Amino acid sequence: MALFASLAFTAQAQEPEATPLDTLTNRVGMMQSNLDVLNRIKISGYLQPQYQVADSTGQPSFAGGNFTDTDKRFQLRRARLKAQYDAPLNENGISPAQFVFQLDVTQNGVTIKDMYGKLTDKWIGWFSLTAGMQNRPFGYEIGYSSSMRESPERGRMSQIIFPNERDLGAMITIQGPKTGNWNWLKLEAGMFNGTGGPSAGINASDFDKKKDFIGHLSATRTAGGERIKYGLGVSYYDGGYRIDTSNVWDPGKDAAGTMGFIPVSTKADVSPSKATREYTKRQYLGFDAQFSMDWAGGLTTLRGEYIEGKQPGLTSSTNPGAATTSPVAAVVANDIYNRNFNGAYFYFLHDILQSPFQAIVKYDWYDPNTDVKGDDIGKTVTGNTKATTSSDIKYTTLGLGMAYRYNENVKFTAYYDMVENETSSRLASGINFSRDLPDNVFTLRMQVKF
Amino acid sequence: MKKSILTLAIAVTTITGFAQKIVIKGSDTVLPLSQKEAESYMKKNSGKSITVIGGGSGVGIAALLDGSTDIAMSSRSLKMDERMKLKDAGKAIKEVIVANDALSVIVNPANKVGKLTREQLEAIFTGKIKNWKEVGGDDMPMVVYSRETSSGTYEFFKEHVMNRKNYASSVLNMPATGAIIQSVSQTKGAIGYVGLAYVTKDVKDVAVSYDKGKNYVIASVENAKNKSYPIVRPLFYFYPEPKEKQVKPFIDFILSAEGQKIVDQIGYVAVK
Repeated sequence: MALFASLAFTAQAQEPEATPLDTLTNRVGMMQSNLDVLNRIKISGYLQPQYQVADSTGQPSFAGGNFTDTDKRFQLRRARLKAQYDAPLNENGISPAQFVFQLDVTQNGVTIKDMYGKLTDKWIGWFSLTAGMQNRPFGYEIGYSSSMRESPERGRMSQIIFPNERDLGAMITIQGPKTGNWNWLKLEAGMFNGTGGPSAGINASDFDKKKDFIGHLSATRTAGGERIKYGLGVSYYDGGYRIDTSNVWDPGKDAAGTMGFIPVSTKADVSPSKATREYTKRQYLGFDAQFSMDWAGGLTTLRGEYIEGKQPGLTSSTNPGAATTSPVAAVVANDIYNRNFNGAYFYFLHDILQSPFQAIVKYDWYDPNTDVKGDDIGKTVTGNTKATTSSDIKYTTLGLGMAYRYNENVKFTAYYDMVENETSSRLASGINFSRDLPDNVFTLRMQVKF
Repeated sequence: MKKSILTLAIAVTTITGFAQKIVIKGSDTVLPLSQKEAESYMKKNSGKSITVIGGGSGVGIAALLDGSTDIAMSSRSLKMDERMKLKDAGKAIKEVIVANDALSVIVNPANKVGKLTREQLEAIFTGKIKNWKEVGGDDMPMVVYSRETSSGTYEFFKEHVMNRKNYASSVLNMPATGAIIQSVSQTKGAIGYVGLAYVTKDVKDVAVSYDKGKNYVIASVENAKNKSYPIVRPLFYFYPEPKEKQVKPFIDFILSAEGQKIVDQIGYVAVK
């Protein structure tokens, strides 16, 4: 015992005394180690309070939702809090795992926006699997962050065919590492519920056996000594909705040749067993392109996307802002109207010289039913054919805006949406679609980001 | 040791928030130049304080974006994505070329190979050539060193020497230029690349040919100035326009005759 005590004392006595520099070095080393752990967790977020003035009281709108009994409002459009964890880099310089959690807290309540895990192969870093609530991999605007997007809202088409942007599913991403030669090419493809992300009053649970395929192949390159960036992409969506105890209608003509909807299956054709019921198609094809150039006059960006396809929806709502062609769970309990649609958006953005000002011009259209135009919408049909309604009206929107970046955290945007609807003399009763409706919206938004 | 003390001093300065006037962060290649320029500037201007921190060009530019530096040092120009992010953050950025740098290819002094063509360098760093006997040396496996992916030197070498081909997975990525010098000096079969200012007598400079072996040129300030040495790149300072008043006196000092003399002393190529 005495021997051990003596040895311990000797060892202690022989331990070299730490110099102040050694102590400092140790402390800095410990702090660095702690910092490395903290650096794996990133917390970010942004707030978008805004004030809006609409053309008319109670007008439907895609600029942040319908105006209820008012034409002026303050709104907390988005308030996001995001936490992201990245596993430490392995010996191949790859972070093999990522976890993302994002909440949206507004006057409408709390909603989960993102909740997913992403695994990346630990050997070459080319293959990733993302599972959970995530952005749908279709086109460019859907996945483009609302904090980065220059216009206050996505285009009308994006909001209708992809409500809430997110969906529950699993996706494979194939893309070369950032330092590799093939990083410019990216393929994302996955299977999703098809119900969309949750929002106030709508949950994201699936209600049918059909899972939807969504894929996006994109290429992004730079040129001109890293002063030009351009990208191209093609997207495909193949999904469907269960047909419940409802009639299903396709675009078709009556005996007189008037375009409307003709029945393809009736309630009597629908199997009483949910397991054997048929599905109606939901199919989109999209093309997107982006171009940015940093030149003496500033940074100019052009973006565009065109989508066409087949969309199952509802029929006669005289409220054009009610997303009546949106495929929500309620669809299966109502008659389903299949429509051929197309739509597009185009952005022109210019950062003026080296100033903090950015000019924004955006044009988009959404034609929910490409088989019928103008005065033919709402035309009386005969026999077992249903007439088209205000839900088949095409909308175009021209948005003009200016953004001012106060600093790296704060941005102000003034934006005016000029909405124009297709007119039909046959839709003059109720909301008068024989003229362009007064439904423009001015938005003044402040964005605080951290 | 001297470097450790300097690093610690910088760390302490950063932690304690000592009256900093200018923070410079980024490229390890530009680091020795900035340190020397800062020392001289502070000697001449008492009361001025400059803190210089390395980490790589990407780190410096990221710091510019998050506002944790006044000047980003970089051995490459801004990438388009970085330009777009800086614009989105409302940061108007000014760029200044403070010096030019010749990139040296180095091997262990015991290695008898003294010259390589660009094509051979490409094959070595992409892993197609793996033994020194394939380029006229001893029968000895190659140990290839590179900088980390956040380094501007890494990207410049890939673009201008490797013809944008990928580095082989066997290439060892080192966190700092000093680590490459040390590893090459201690490993007989080693090869790497560093900024000319870092070359010491512990490593051997390799002459390089960009005309398929007709002419071989060794990296030197003189050869870089007369443009006979092919692997030369500009070294940048990037700073936010609103900080101009704060940083301009120091940048003016670097671009002055006195500052450019320091550029020559350090082993870089003066721009004036």
